Parts: sequence; structure tokens; C-alpha cells
Amino acid sequence: MGVQLNVLRKSLRDQRWQIVGFGLALFLMAALIVAIWPSYRNTVASIQLPEAVQAFLGSDLNYSMASGFISAEYFSWIPVLLIIYAVIQGTGAVAGEESSGTIDLLMAQPITRANMVLQKSIAATVGSALIIGFGFLGFAATIPLVDIEISVGDAALASANMLPITLFHFALALWLGSVAPNRATAVAIAVAVATAGYFLNTVAAIVGSVSWLQYASPFYYYGAGLPLVKGLDWARVAALLGPTLLLVAWAMHSFDRRDIIVGGASNVRLRDLLRRVTG
Amino acid sequence: MDRPAIELNGVTKNYGSVRALRGIDLVVQPRQIFGFLGPNGAGKTTSIRILLDLIRPASGTARVLGFDCQRQSVEVRRRAGYLPGDLRTYDGLRGSAFLDLIDSFRPDKRDPQFRRELLERLELDPTVTIRSLSKGNKQKLGLLQALLHRPDLLILDEPTSGLDPLVQQEVAKLLEEAVGQGATVFFSSHVLPEVERLAHAVAIIREGLIVAVEDIARLKGRSVHVLEVTFAEPPPSDLFALPGVTELRRDGNTVQVQSRDGIDALVKAIARYPVLDLRTQQPGLEEFFLTYYEAPEEQET
Repeated sequence: MGVQLNVLRKSLRDQRWQIVGFGLALFLMAALIVAIWPSYRNTVASIQLPEAVQAFLGSDLNYSMASGFISAEYFSWIPVLLIIYAVIQGTGAVAGEESSGTIDLLMAQPITRANMVLQKSIAATVGSALIIGFGFLGFAATIPLVDIEISVGDAALASANMLPITLFHFALALWLGSVAPNRATAVAIAVAVATAGYFLNTVAAIVGSVSWLQYASPFYYYGAGLPLVKGLDWARVAALLGPTLLLVAWAMHSFDRRDIIVGGASNVRLRDLLRRVTG
Repeated sequence: MDRPAIELNGVTKNYGSVRALRGIDLVVQPRQIFGFLGPNGAGKTTSIRILLDLIRPASGTARVLGFDCQRQSVEVRRRAGYLPGDLRTYDGLRGSAFLDLIDSFRPDKRDPQFRRELLERLELDPTVTIRSLSKGNKQKLGLLQALLHRPDLLILDEPTSGLDPLVQQEVAKLLEEAVGQGATVFFSSHVLPEVERLAHAVAIIREGLIVAVEDIARLKGRSVHVLEVTFAEPPPSDLFALPGVTELRRDGNTVQVQSRDGIDALVKAIARYPVLDLRTQQPGLEEFFLTYYEAPEEQET
């Protein structure tokens, strides 16, 4: 079988305005945060950071330093935007085409279902990287012009570190879209899981007695702006990318085994749902 | 003889507790237009979607052009052009971009000239965004993409729904041409005259079972003819005492008769007397099919 990239190309074409929109938002945020740093430098030292924000930063980052400031103002919440994009793409890949009914004609073409899912996953990876890349350009354009204690290289590492958490949520949404009865359900569950993960990380950091719960949150492995001061933590990257690959493979498997339902199913019985999950 | 275009053996399919297909056996020989007739909900679309591996049968096997519909589904789809019954396309695309997408799955079959010819014959403007196409034009686009790569097998679910009679004629021509070039057309319909007009053979499905498979030409030869003859003078009363012929009505010089076995004997009998007027009507297959629709259990053999 030759390498087909047509679904990948179409998928990227379909999401081009999303990429530009999210990318522009990241670019402007990054440039703005760097640009205001010099004027905040002298005042931030006296700011008492809310406990939750400091908890998210952890003990390695200090808000009175450029790395901590940029972590809090950019790297701690930009993944939320990226996850919105990831959930749109992840649930759209299978469940979205099913809900809109376009999947019938798409899957009547000579292509395996796994190939279709793979091409869409690659498209989402490229899209995520492009959006994150736009954000990095915001740093690269402003850091050399401003008196700031982080380098363009640091910003590149920390930006790249946002990719695994984005892809993890894409894979989660993709998997949900391949087992949930319809797209709306998949979106709801994906958003709930992402939100739970975000707050779990924060709460577990504040409440010492349940700090072990952090390990259950994808955001713990993300680590916000840590790469600004410590470089990439490959173990944490692997902790996110491992489950990501697993979920994509599982999504392919589940989707490959089941019936395609135009319009999405309205009432899937529990037994059918379990069969979808287990393949 | 070639391998069949479609072969279904004991195919069953359940949706929850609903038994959509209860054991479909069907062989469609190549190079013909085959109608798949049945009322709504009989299992036409379910059968078709099994052929394309969009859904999986509970039991039984399905083969298309010799390929197993499940294990060799990509090979099946490479050779099949498909029009869904509920056509949904990427509304934001222009017609041409949509056709490019379909082409991109079979780059070796790309034929811009044939595409232009189809667009012209179906009078479709490819620069229009699909969202702004009328229902009929959308259907034309759906047919066009199915024909585009000159597939060996066309699987069309309700192909002429929403098309005006002129376009229906053009579609009929296109399908005949495809068959002339060696393709097989398998189409579903719940409209009797459509099947009668287009198809060479027909299978009738009802409540998930094939209740009859018939050759259209033979059916037509077998079906009932009604003649109304006006003679110059009252004909002999025993003129129509022929096998299979029934005199329905006699009104002076005008007689209405019905024949079950062709009209040859009847015409020859009439020709022996001076005839002023002759009107014929062929009731068509409608009555024939309706017998299946109304009493399927008795027709099962």
C-alpha cells in the first residue's frame, strides 16, 4: 500500500483557520508577557501570589524571576487553549465525521479505518506544533529586544514541552470519539477529564495530605514552565506520550471493530458501549 | 462465466433486538443493472453498507467482485463507486474540491476529461460551494463522484431521488454506458417504475429477506396486457375463447380483453376482423410487485 497523505492534507486544510486563530493568540500572549516583564520586574517581588498559582509553579519557580513570571502568565494556562483545540480535533476525527454523516462517503474510499485515524492524528500533531510554534515566534521576536533573564532557547524548550500534554488530550478525545455514541458525549467527557486533571494538580499541590494525587494528573507531568529552568524532563514527556500512543492505538482498534453510524448513535446500550471499549 | 459482482450468503444483521437482515442470499451477475427493490426499512441500505464494510454482518459472508467485503474491504472499495442513500458531503467545499478529494483516493484512475463530460451531461457547476447546491444538484454531485473513477461496480442507494425526469434519463444513459463498458450497477429503490425502467434484473427485499429475484424482460413478457378493440361490426362472441385471455367488457363493437401470456395469439385473432381502433395498456410490474409487498410469506420459496 502506497503512502496516502490525502486525508492528512484535507484535515490540515480544514483546520487552517483554527491553527491561525489559536496561533495568533499564543503569539500575542507570548510577545505581550515578554514585553511587560521589564516594567513588572521591580513590582512583582512584592506581590504575594495566590496559593493556587504558586502551587502550580512548584518550588522551582519564583514569580519574582522572569522564568516564574512567564510560567505563571503563559505556560501555566496556555495548555488550556491547546486542549480546546485538541478536543475539537480529537472528537472531530471520528465522532465528528460520524455525527455530520460525512464518514459514510469517506470510509467508502479505498483506505483502512486505521489509516484514516493515523492521518488525522498526524494532522493534529502538525497543527498543535504549528500553534505552539506561533507562540514561540512571539518569544523569539521579543526576547532579544528586552532585558530578560531567559533565552530564546529556554522559550523553545518550554514551548515544545506543551506538545505532549496537547497530544495526550487529543488522543483522549480521539479515543472517546471512537467509543462514545456521539460527538457531544465525547466532548463532554473530554472536557470533564481535562478540567479535573487541571484542578487535581493544583489542589493536590496545596493540600499536602493528598499530594500523591498529583501523579494522576496529566498536568503534573507537563510541569508548566519548569523546562525554563531545568530543561526537558524526558521521564515526564514519556509519561504523557506513552498513554498518548496507547490511546491512539486503542482508538484505531475500537473504531476498526465497530459499525459506522451515520448521524451518531442516540442511545447505545451499555453492552454495546463495553464492546466498543474492549474492541 | 465471470465471478459474480455481488455474492451474499446467509447475511444477517441485528440492530439491538431488531433483526434488520434475516439471512440474505443474493448473486448479482456482472455487466447488468440490478435493481434492489423494497419498501422503506426492508434492509436495502443495511445490505449495501455491509458490501462497503461500513457495518459488519452478524453472520454470513459478503463478496464483491470476488473479494471478501470484510477481510479485503479496501480492494472492494477501490473497485466500487458508492452513492449513499443519505448523502452528506463536506458542505464547505466547492464541488471541484470535493471531486479532487475523491480523485485523490485513486490517483491512477484520475480522468479530467471524463469528469468534464460528466459535469456537462449532468449540468453541474463545480465552482459552487456544496452548501449552496439544491438537493437535486447535490444528488447529481453524489452520482458524479460515484461514476468518476469508472468503477467495476456501482453501488447506488436510491440514485434518482430528488432528480427531475430529464436528469433521470441522463443518469439512466450513464448507467447503461457504464454497463456497456463492463461495469455492474447495483441500485436500491422503493420506486417501482424506476426499477422497471432502469434495471435488467431485480431482487425484492422485504423485512430482511429476499422474497424474489426476477429478470425484468421476462417479467414484462409474462405480465398482464389489456387491449381495448373497436371493431367495424360486432365480433363473434367466442372470438376471445383463447388460453390465458379473458374478456373483461363488451359494449357494442368495443371489447376490452386481458391476456396473461403475451399478446401474440390475441392480436392474430383480432386481425381476422376489420378493426377501427386499438388501444393497449401495459399495467407494468406494479401489480406483480405489489403481490410480494402484500403477501410476502406466501411467496417465499
